[in-house]
Amino acid sequence: MAENSGTDPTVDSNVVENAASDGTMIVVTVKTPKDKEEIAISEDSSVAQFKEEISKRFNAKQDQLVLIFAGKILKDGDTLNQHGIKDGLTVHLVIKTAPKATVGGTSQSSASSSGTPQANSSVNPSAAPNDSTTPGTGPTPTSTQPPNLLSGFGDLSSLSGMGMGSANFMEMQQQMQRQLMSNPEMLSQIMDNPLVQNMMSNPDLMRQMIVTNPQMQQLMERNPEISHMLNNPELMRQTMELARNPAMMQEMMRNQDRALSNLESIPGGYNALRRMYTDIQEPMFSAAREQFGNNPFSALGGNLDSGVQPSRTENREPLPNPWGPPGTTPSEIRGTGASTTTTTSAGGTAPSASNPLGINASGLGNGVFGSPGMQSLMQQISENPQLMQNMLSAPYMRSMMQSLAQNPDLASQVCTTSALSAQQQLMQQMLQMFAGGGGGSSTVTPEVRFQQQLDQLSAMGFINREANLQALIATGGDINAAIERLLGSQPS
Amino acid sequence: SQASSVIKVPRNFRLLEELEEGQKGVGDGTVSWGLEDDEDIMLTRWTGMIIGPPRTIYENRMYSLKVECGPRYPESPPFVRFVTKINLNGVHNSNGVVDTRAVAALAKWQNSYSIRVVLQELRRLMMCKENMKLPQPPEGQVFSN
Repeated sequence: MAENSGTDPTVDSNVVENAASDGTMIVVTVKTPKDKEEIAISEDSSVAQFKEEISKRFNAKQDQLVLIFAGKILKDGDTLNQHGIKDGLTVHLVIKTAPKATVGGTSQSSASSSGTPQANSSVNPSAAPNDSTTPGTGPTPTSTQPPNLLSGFGDLSSLSGMGMGSANFMEMQQQMQRQLMSNPEMLSQIMDNPLVQNMMSNPDLMRQMIVTNPQMQQLMERNPEISHMLNNPELMRQTMELARNPAMMQEMMRNQDRALSNLESIPGGYNALRRMYTDIQEPMFSAAREQFGNNPFSALGGNLDSGVQPSRTENREPLPNPWGPPGTTPSEIRGTGASTTTTTSAGGTAPSASNPLGINASGLGNGVFGSPGMQSLMQQISENPQLMQNMLSAPYMRSMMQSLAQNPDLASQVCTTSALSAQQQLMQQMLQMFAGGGGGSSTVTPEVRFQQQLDQLSAMGFINREANLQALIATGGDINAAIERLLGSQPS
Repeated sequence: SQASSVIKVPRNFRLLEELEEGQKGVGDGTVSWGLEDDEDIMLTRWTGMIIGPPRTIYENRMYSLKVECGPRYPESPPFVRFVTKINLNGVHNSNGVVDTRAVAALAKWQNSYSIRVVLQELRRLMMCKENMKLPQPPEGQVFSN
């Protein structure tokens, strides 16, 4: 009732116009140990109403939320007012989950799905007598699975021949990935499923699954450490616990980030890191490549560490050009510089103004690139090189790659197929994030795309913006070539 | 600030500053503090909250504390007492009082420390090997005083 009768001179002058809420709107920051959001709420609302807003924003159920302000827990029946919560102040949030793991979409596991009939894992723990031997996890044994899912699969080893390579299986995977990408909640549901948790707590099972994956086998060949790791049950158990608990994983990654950034400062340390990263990243992506047909990020990997030779692999064959027709080598890509802009000319399809990477869309039809999610990703990348540059130069990306390099068991996790989908999802989210920052949409004018180059040119003294733009368009964003053009045409 | 060791900041200034920091959520979001009673002009009685660190037995629990800043604060350390029952080395099992000698921040108190520092230190203690697996009372119990 924000009635402002004219007879009361002391009434606050910024009475809200919204008739539905009482009182002024305030913006309160809600902070979790990992996250921060600003939420607008009426200052007269109750804690319960506040929690409603928060549950939407953080995608958690209201009864999982615990709010703390100035050292006190806010009870649902209290009001924000009575705790003195005002505009611009910060409230701490803890999202409680019933068992150990926190709800999150970032778990990377080779889990089987819960309700969807299209699962890409093909293990039924209830078929094997493993239930009784799972080490002390809470969740009850399975048997809630729809019968079509897993019945009849008894022997693990026969599964590898059965499902992994066939086209049908791939399709299932694709569908699952698509679903996963569009519905992050599903991932968390999957993780919560007792079937999954059951499976994850059985190291032997996990190991079998990982080992029978042909990509993993290749990876293992190239990196013997990974096979060592797989044979070490203790480590496996740790890793699985990690996977089960995304919060733990994030903590670990963060710790590693910190350790890694310390490492960076040691002379020669950064190079060692990059070497490590290439060692792991390369085989990882080539393994992925075989399954998915093409991996554009391998070219990026090449770009990132041109000049640093890997310590282990002697003979670095050039990675095939993911965007060109088969047969063109990516050596041009690598050669054209350490810069991570994607405006370097790629072989194959000639770069045009709107397609500087020369992405041959028809060449990307196979494998998971058939999935719409991946394609839109690629399109975004191709049409907005700025985006790519942002993405790569962002500390986030770098630290992610570094932590992948640092932690081979994490890398092996990431390798397993459905984990790759989570990875893609992650990448897509990241892209979207940076799309917001880089101003990328699917229709971007050259001016916007070459913004950075334009700025550089004008800083150098080329004040004719039109000419600069023309030159940049003609050279596809290559500043040096653009300058030559400008100097050639403008006697100065 | 470099002057804090030479110039003694008046008690109330300091506490008001800490009050503001508590409301603005300064820090990493794992501890929280504020006045127990908004009308407390002496700024003596504070409540604190520690979020149990992950991967310890304290995970996902919220520990409520009482912190008392006496007249000689910040020259003297505050009195700290757990309200929520906890099994932690350095905390009396009977009443939740924190033993000054067991917590480095209290034992070697400096006037540049603050309530936040104490709470964060207690949280760090929860992550120590000797504490992180101690069996805990069921959630929701409080110390009787």
